[in-house]
Amino acid sequence: MTEEESIFDPTSRKKKKKKKVFDLDAGLSDGGGEREGGDATDSQATDKENQEPARNQENDMDIDENSLDLESFGKKKKKKKTKFNLDELDSALPDTGGKTLEGSISNDAGEGAEDGAVEDNFELDMDFSQKKKRKKKKKDLDVLVAEDEKEKAEDKENAEDESVTWTGTDRDYTYDELLNRVFEIMRDKNPDMVAGKKQKFVMRPPQVVRIGTKKTSFANFTEICKTLHRQPKHLLDFLLAELGTSGSVDGNNQLIIKGRFQQKQIENVLRRYIKEYVTCHTCRSPDTILQKDTRLFFLQCETCGSRCSVASIKSGFQAVTGKRAAIRAKTA
Amino acid sequence: MSIQNLNTFDPFADAIKGSEDDVQDGLVHIRIQQRNGRKTLTTVQGLSSEYDLKKIVRACKKEFACNGTVIEHPEYGEVLQLQGDQRENICQWLTKTGLAKPDQLKVHGF
Repeated sequence: MTEEESIFDPTSRKKKKKKKVFDLDAGLSDGGGEREGGDATDSQATDKENQEPARNQENDMDIDENSLDLESFGKKKKKKKTKFNLDELDSALPDTGGKTLEGSISNDAGEGAEDGAVEDNFELDMDFSQKKKRKKKKKDLDVLVAEDEKEKAEDKENAEDESVTWTGTDRDYTYDELLNRVFEIMRDKNPDMVAGKKQKFVMRPPQVVRIGTKKTSFANFTEICKTLHRQPKHLLDFLLAELGTSGSVDGNNQLIIKGRFQQKQIENVLRRYIKEYVTCHTCRSPDTILQKDTRLFFLQCETCGSRCSVASIKSGFQAVTGKRAAIRAKTA
Repeated sequence: MSIQNLNTFDPFADAIKGSEDDVQDGLVHIRIQQRNGRKTLTTVQGLSSEYDLKKIVRACKKEFACNGTVIEHPEYGEVLQLQGDQRENICQWLTKTGLAKPDQLKVHGF
């Protein structure tokens, strides 16, 4: 053991705690390839966030605007202020939240089928970003679409070139050539279906507000369940198991979670939920149904018709965090 | 000088031995729990029982400069418990020491 201990790298100690939370998800997300699209947009989002403080400072001049800007809370810098204006924030959130926050899940399924490589063409970005950034994003999307089209054009040319390669000659056609030919025909016959139509799903970011010091409210919980077409109970189970806490839905259809959580933390968990239980594992379309079959959950895709089982939600080991005396009093 | 033909040969020796370099099977769940205030707790569940968890926790405590313990659970077996948010640390450490592969680690929490 002493040998092993000497191998342990002491340099890994010196890491900032704050940063960990972010890197973890990106670094450890299984299936790095499929997340690439999302990560790219994430980094874009953070870029934009970096620009935001400057904007915030401008807006600080007029106090009325201020409450609006506090929506970008979760930044350490602003923490003091958020606490101060919490009431104001609370009152501001419900009406501003509706129009200012919009994210998008955009995907182009079917694109993947085009050249047989599924992973690079699909793009699922769930940016819970805000309206301010929207303009820029639209531009990005346009660029993306343009790129896609360019790619497609190239593909088509290749396909045409290859489809005629064997017609004159005596040799056998290869698998790739046949594949290209099939997709070319498909694209010709029904351009809408195969040519990578862009589905865009608008998803609202979770509205997460602290209640007091120990509880967190997830205000639009039921709304998000509706957009994802999932039972609130299922999402609730997942959230509570992942966060390792307890919570319940109250009378106003908002979720009250025990513990302090920030919006981006909830977003992370939601993202994982969507990846596991909403998007199809084969074609990654979000148009799926979750069925329960003999104690197992199955994810049935409406687009490609695939059906696969998904992991059951388990909370696993829970350490004792409360007062042991209280637990003892309860059981005895 | 022994006669080779008379040696006993275990046909399943390979199968038993094959898993030896790779003791860890199944997922290792790394979770975080909030305590009072900003304090957190990291739990590592599912490490193979072949490992000496006490030695692991001793090494981890030294490496991450935190306290920790091994908890015996009737359902989940032995569970590592470390103070603070050690999720990233423990992931790096487990892969570096070769106790678990990166795809066997499953990180929960926010």
